[in-house]
Amino acid sequence: MTTATIEKPPAAPAQPLAPLSAPPARTGSAKSSVLLLGLDLGTNKSCVLAGPPGSTDITVSKVLPSVVGYVRDGIVDGIITGNARILYGEDALRQMLHVELVAPLAEGVISRPEAARDFMLHIRQLADPSGRAEIRTVVGVPANAGEPAREAIRRTAQGVFARILLIPEPFLAALGFRDDSRVRQSGYVDPVVNSLFIDIGGGTSDLCLVQGYFPTRDDQISIPFAGDAIDELLYNELGRTYPNNGLSRITVREIKEAHAYVGPSRKPLDIKVVIGGKSRTLELGDAIGSACNTLIDRIYPALTALIASASSDSVVTLLQNIIVTGGGSQIRGIDTVLQKRLADDGYESPKVRLAGQDFQRYVAIGALKAARAARENQWQVLLE
Amino acid sequence: MAGEAQSVQETEFAEAAARARKLFASESEAESLLREMMAEEEGRVAEAIVFAEVLVPMLARRLAVQPPAPHLRAAPPAPRTGPAEARGIADFIDEMLAQDRLGSH
Repeated sequence: MTTATIEKPPAAPAQPLAPLSAPPARTGSAKSSVLLLGLDLGTNKSCVLAGPPGSTDITVSKVLPSVVGYVRDGIVDGIITGNARILYGEDALRQMLHVELVAPLAEGVISRPEAARDFMLHIRQLADPSGRAEIRTVVGVPANAGEPAREAIRRTAQGVFARILLIPEPFLAALGFRDDSRVRQSGYVDPVVNSLFIDIGGGTSDLCLVQGYFPTRDDQISIPFAGDAIDELLYNELGRTYPNNGLSRITVREIKEAHAYVGPSRKPLDIKVVIGGKSRTLELGDAIGSACNTLIDRIYPALTALIASASSDSVVTLLQNIIVTGGGSQIRGIDTVLQKRLADDGYESPKVRLAGQDFQRYVAIGALKAARAARENQWQVLLE
Repeated sequence: MAGEAQSVQETEFAEAAARARKLFASESEAESLLREMMAEEEGRVAEAIVFAEVLVPMLARRLAVQPPAPHLRAAPPAPRTGPAEARGIADFIDEMLAQDRLGSH
């Protein structure tokens, strides 16, 4: 079984953190109320859901690009809305000519601590504009993320959130995908009871066996090959096929997101782009298909390894509950290609399905569910 | 810890025993008393070990933490086909935190 552990050395010096034991009482806190957050910190897109404890209300639900834009010096007043010095998400991308764009995460983990902190502060502001709430946040982490990566999140969140709980993303995806209203219905297969989740993000593709207990390390495989790697392959192939095309990586990503597919070639795939102010049509069928099919080649061995580790009593049902989520679930044909490959290799009646239109939110939905269910002594207190 | 204990036995304790022997009229009387004291302390240590072996599991159960034997893997999870709906999300979080403490992550 291939196990890849993602670790990024933290840049900031260590700060003391409270132990994982029961936190001190905060009944006398100056904060006015408690707000729970479910946070999916993605390499390319992040999702935050917020709501009060003891309720199913969701007060904030937002998907935003994981990018911070620091306004360049010398920008004339009035060019940037409100003359802000830092922009976030879509605002930063819209003003990319006037800002230095910084991605706080790479391969699913924090790589730019200062930008990550600014991004978290922005998320806090989105969730609690008053700034008065005591915020408790469940944050999704890539499967098998190492302790340095987890510690980087905790350190970045100090002074931003009052309490934190880190939970692997694939499990949160299963939790979020579960239809709680149908859990006791006859015939409903609870994804938390017996399923295999494939969460394809920007930095990592995480596979996780979820079978009624919290997944162990052996139940999770994280592959550092996902959306960003496909972008890079496509970008390089375009450079070979159409030298000096002048297309930016952002434009290449947009092309991928609009036309990505796996399986047999869909050539010709004619795509209109603007290069140097002039409209051109590029044939990209094989380039896109080749780049995306590489993802299948990377994921499939991990998929079969996890299937092999499931008990014989559970594997037949498990094969009926393979779910693809994350941005990669939007790649056309990914469900049928994986399903066919399993069937061709002799697996019994496999069924691979897509998570559906909420694919960007399931990790955050699961994180908010976890935040609502977490006991007091399960939270880690972050010292300010 | 054993190495440190042996070091103390060979240095500080040896020096104290040598000083104590000088206080007795005969060497045999001193040795007899030292053997008696060592046997008494070894008994106390053995009782403390037994006490800890009984107390630690009790504390662990109360704190919902299972201490591992160093040479064993993490304790196996709940049965794989068990009804998850009967176990709440907080129970899953407990399992996760237990794994974290065992170093599974």
